[in-house]
Amino acid sequence: MAVDFSFLLPLLATSFGIYLILALSFNLEYGYAGQPNLGKVFFYSVGAYAAGAITTRVLWALAGAPANVAFMQAPGAAIRQAFARSNPGAILGLFVVSLLAAAVIGAAVGYLAAYPALRLRGDFLAIVLIAVGEAGRVFGRNYEPLAGGVFGLPGVPNPFAWLPARADYAAYAILVLAIAAGMYLFAVRLSNSPFGRLLKSIRDDELAASVYGKDAPRAKGHILAIGSGMAAVAGALYVFYVQQVYADDFIPLISFAAVTMVILGGVANHKGTLVGAAFMTLVDFVTRPVFLAILGINWQPPFDLNYVRYLVTGLIIVLVLLFRPKGLLAERPVDTVAMRVAQSWKTPATVDEPARDDS
Amino acid sequence: MVDVADLFQSVLIGSLYALMALGLTLTYAVAKIPNFAHAEYVTVGAYTAALVTIAFGGAITLGGSGAAAAIVAAFALAFVVAAAIALLSDELVFRPLFRRAATSLHLLVASIGVGLIIRYALSLLVAPYDFLVVTPRIGKDLIRLPGGEALAVAGAPVTNLLAGAIPTTFGIVAALYLLFTRTRIGKGMRAMASNFDLARVAGIKTTNIRRFTWLLAGGLAGLGGAFWIVDVPGTPEMGWGILLWLFAASILGGFTSFWGTVAGGFIVGFAENLGISALHDGFGVSFSYRPMIALVIIVLVFLIRPQGITGLTTGELVGQIRKRLAALRPMLERA
Repeated sequence: MAVDFSFLLPLLATSFGIYLILALSFNLEYGYAGQPNLGKVFFYSVGAYAAGAITTRVLWALAGAPANVAFMQAPGAAIRQAFARSNPGAILGLFVVSLLAAAVIGAAVGYLAAYPALRLRGDFLAIVLIAVGEAGRVFGRNYEPLAGGVFGLPGVPNPFAWLPARADYAAYAILVLAIAAGMYLFAVRLSNSPFGRLLKSIRDDELAASVYGKDAPRAKGHILAIGSGMAAVAGALYVFYVQQVYADDFIPLISFAAVTMVILGGVANHKGTLVGAAFMTLVDFVTRPVFLAILGINWQPPFDLNYVRYLVTGLIIVLVLLFRPKGLLAERPVDTVAMRVAQSWKTPATVDEPARDDS
Repeated sequence: MVDVADLFQSVLIGSLYALMALGLTLTYAVAKIPNFAHAEYVTVGAYTAALVTIAFGGAITLGGSGAAAAIVAAFALAFVVAAAIALLSDELVFRPLFRRAATSLHLLVASIGVGLIIRYALSLLVAPYDFLVVTPRIGKDLIRLPGGEALAVAGAPVTNLLAGAIPTTFGIVAALYLLFTRTRIGKGMRAMASNFDLARVAGIKTTNIRRFTWLLAGGLAGLGGAFWIVDVPGTPEMGWGILLWLFAASILGGFTSFWGTVAGGFIVGFAENLGISALHDGFGVSFSYRPMIALVIIVLVFLIRPQGITGLTTGELVGQIRKRLAALRPMLERA
């Protein structure tokens, strides 16, 4: 049986793009600034709720909001999907607005997370943020007006729903990859900028950075806002990918997956994060029955394949920390023009120059 | 009016939280690990206990001698197996990292990995045998008086679980108190908790005491799990589901305090049962928000008073409240 790549590849690419953005944001916060944001999933879910709530409600209003159809349930979702299929401009515009709104709201919430980050550090900050993430999930699944509570909020159309079947997924995958590539370039530029070096100095020695007149609390607030905004964009992209908002998707394991990608690839190394995200995306896909079926493997294990994924995640965390604490790609010095010039001085060409006569 | 049955449930849950959270506090104090794998020791203990009672099978007739043997074996093995898993996780992962001077944060991340490994290895092991949800053969039951009616206090029935778990917890707390104050090994643990290097220089065998700490922490968690699974059927995720509650209890107690953790366990247990009832009756808060209580406790304690309730005197409490009210007054006057 031929493997159906036209179906598999777009899904793989979309997942990879979303994971990459999430991992990059964690790498900026933890790898560069030393803020262990293990509540990553909270900021991811903020973006998801924002995008889901805005898109469904505006589409509902545009579609005429029939009073006799349930907004939260399948018939309502079908109306939204049908409207999106016949109005490309509306859904694309809503997608852009949702993404921007997710970024802004995520950044604002992330800035609030700087409040605990200024009082706590290391393990205590991590525990508080994990608790915040779980509290967000509990709230989301109980407060129905937000996203339908335990049943979720269906009917967030693919922004390319107006394209023929399959082409919509492919187009969306390309868009997500483009956004992820943009985020990657942004992260690299940011971490090599003076601000990125400031973050590293705070991570390595906050007292010394303060002595040099650097405003450490402000920088922490800024990087948490940036990282959370990125995570929220990833959440919004996820919602348009799975086409629904479902509170119980936002479990702590999402945060831990981002952590795994970063420590596997190498802390404070964006190339490493790229490798880690690619590897974890593959692990994710190989351990889903649907994708095994697409690959033509007909295997019915007596257990849930998800267990294998989580087991592998745990093994990666433990093995990397024990045997390769710096990750696959170790941290490198910042890449600035001055640094490049300084490194070129060490080349033999300069050594071979005739010695200067000092007499 | 407080329902007596609610009160019993709060005391039961509180004492189980205290029992399980004590191990969390121990490993944080002695080994400096906020151990997220602690949840799995609870699960492992619970599964061991349940599977032992199932293995006894037909030999168990309630009230017969087989039942007593099965109960003793179940609880003893729950302690031993969970203790062994805890020791193994330290020997293989935490101690090698600790030797390399890993920070508490690295150890926390490692413990998340260890937790994932134990939890899903257990899931993979039990799934083919249909034990993803497991109920022990000895369940929660009413205690029958010789006359045939159920034992009850103030109209609320006293179950065998209640009669077993609460005295056990109090006994263990008393035994641990003696251990920490009267024995060399307990004093060694306290010395390591307050200053590791000084303890080592003073000639305390830190490696052995560390091993003992892990055995004790895992065993207590396993014992708590064994009681827990009598109350509700277990799944491989059961420990993970209450881990943040145990953290809440431990953190409320200051994260390194023995009596603080015991008190924290009961406070969390009561807040979660009586507290949510009060919120429901008073403010119409839905019972489904129950999990929020422990999470809010964690966040608030860390932000307001990271040392928890330890050392909090009435005078200081009143002083704190006064200080905060005084800080609010200018704002109110402006408004």
